Amino acid sequence: MIKMVKIFLRSVYTSFATNILDRPGRLLSLLIFVLLLFFPITRPTQNLLFVMIGGFILAMFAASWDLLVGRCGQISLGHSLYFGLGTYTTALLCHYQGLPIYVTIPIGVLVGTLIAVPVGFPAIRLRGPYLSLTSMALPLIAAAMVIAFRDVTHGEEGIGPNFRFFPNLSWYKQWVGEYYLALMLLFISACIIYKIANSRIGIVFVSILDDELASKACGINVTKYKLLAFAISALFASLAGAYTAHSMITGTRAAIGSLSLTQSFLPVIFTTFGGIGTIYGPIAGALIIALVDGYILGIEVLNIEIAWHPLTYIIPVIILLIVWPRGIARFVTDKLDDLQEERLLEERGKWIWKRKKVK
Amino acid sequence: MHLLEVENLTKRFGGLTAVNKVSLHIDEGEIVGLIGPNGSGKTTLFNLITGILKPDSGTVKLNGEDVTGLAPHKIVNKGIARTWQLVRPFRHLPAIANVLVSCQAPRGSRKIEWVKTPERKALEMLDEVGLTDMMMEPAGNLSHGNLKRLEIARAIATEPDLLLLDEPFGGINPIETDYLTKSIRRIHLDGRTLFIVEHKLHALMKIVKRVIVLDEGKLIAEGSPKEISKNKRVIEVYMGGAF
Repeated sequence: MIKMVKIFLRSVYTSFATNILDRPGRLLSLLIFVLLLFFPITRPTQNLLFVMIGGFILAMFAASWDLLVGRCGQISLGHSLYFGLGTYTTALLCHYQGLPIYVTIPIGVLVGTLIAVPVGFPAIRLRGPYLSLTSMALPLIAAAMVIAFRDVTHGEEGIGPNFRFFPNLSWYKQWVGEYYLALMLLFISACIIYKIANSRIGIVFVSILDDELASKACGINVTKYKLLAFAISALFASLAGAYTAHSMITGTRAAIGSLSLTQSFLPVIFTTFGGIGTIYGPIAGALIIALVDGYILGIEVLNIEIAWHPLTYIIPVIILLIVWPRGIARFVTDKLDDLQEERLLEERGKWIWKRKKVK
Repeated sequence: MHLLEVENLTKRFGGLTAVNKVSLHIDEGEIVGLIGPNGSGKTTLFNLITGILKPDSGTVKLNGEDVTGLAPHKIVNKGIARTWQLVRPFRHLPAIANVLVSCQAPRGSRKIEWVKTPERKALEMLDEVGLTDMMMEPAGNLSHGNLKRLEIARAIATEPDLLLLDEPFGGINPIETDYLTKSIRRIHLDGRTLFIVEHKLHALMKIVKRVIVLDEGKLIAEGSPKEISKNKRVIEVYMGGAF
């Protein structure tokens, strides 16, 4: 009996070792995750927690975008459509029907995912600039509808306050609770998206990105896979959106900014900065930029007016992209992979030398 | 019943008739060559058969079933696969992943008794063309000759009944040509019917048993390699009227 447990534990360790310890990029991500887990012990200010929760949500949003655009090659410049649908669906249901959040959030996610199918269909037919412009227009149309039906949606004011996540805890503890909730959501979403991107389905996605016609010539139903990419991407984007409707970072409100053009472009910025096509790139990009923008430059150090905010991170992003055009996260993992290769070569060299000695 | 039956297939591009009422048939187990000067419609004919282009008139039948103008992936899943004249690999993916894409498709993922996973099957296909060493190499880094081999591996991974090869010997040296000739023979013995377009006639004539000649979209001759090489019309079309 003990023997079987030992064998099981050993196999768990081996799979952990090969999948994570040997892959420096993954190990680094795990370390950062553990750091983030223990971070609240340092008693951060509410402002900092606010910034970090926002960063986690935007990271989730950006990762979902990267799966669709970076891995499958389907341009989406209107990703805020899913985000906004997620937040407005759950907020409206909460406000008018009084349903609890564990009902409204799944419905919000479902709506956001299902809308990806009719959105994806014309996107499959369109090419280049037509695809970009159409995708860009859709959330703006939804925003216009929000304003048009202002009796229901409260227009620019936004719908709220909606049910909170932890209504029974003290104020500060709620922020910490939300911090962990957002971090867990990010971690689980990132793992799932990363697993999908590196699975057999992910291989088909990349084949569509590389050469759609050749992919068809292999027997792949490209339309089906594109819709799948749209749906998975929309699922996580609307999950991110549904979270914000009940989060204190928006004052538990669904805001019209969630359907804005700026919201659509945020994942583009984070992903380009982090490294397009990788899944960890946009996450790293989102976290770094959120920290820089929210904490260092925006709140704590300088008194910069809100309107100038984008400049505080756009300019560093542009500068850094000149140095590392493939993205900052890719640069880091490239360096780590080089070190890893050197280490493995050294080990192999030692092993061969040992063998020779024995002979 | 013929494996492939093409009847009066026609395709026009504006004023240009690329394929003009072409009729041919291929029986199971044959190796047929398709030759003709540049611009005679060979690749267009391939595109019509594999559903990449829709014909203006005419039919394509596979085992009696009308497959004219079906979507390309549906035709592949019915049993016709092709390689490309200018190779089209998935450059971001390693070689084995290129073949894995075919193994994900409905037809390509058909289980054969001794192959247990798509990765195993992809490895076997790479083995067939001799690319096992390059398994993890991104396709963007492979040489042209290796890319041609990868094309073939990817095509046979879809378990085709009919395999269309578009200039498999294009741009490769004689050693590679020799190796590919052997690979193609082996593929044929595995039970696949081959339809090959090729300009390198000396290499082609060694493999095929029957040759079809196109010129300006029309079928002008059909016969064994020996007959075709002696056919006056064919020589005229390739070499010009002075001969």
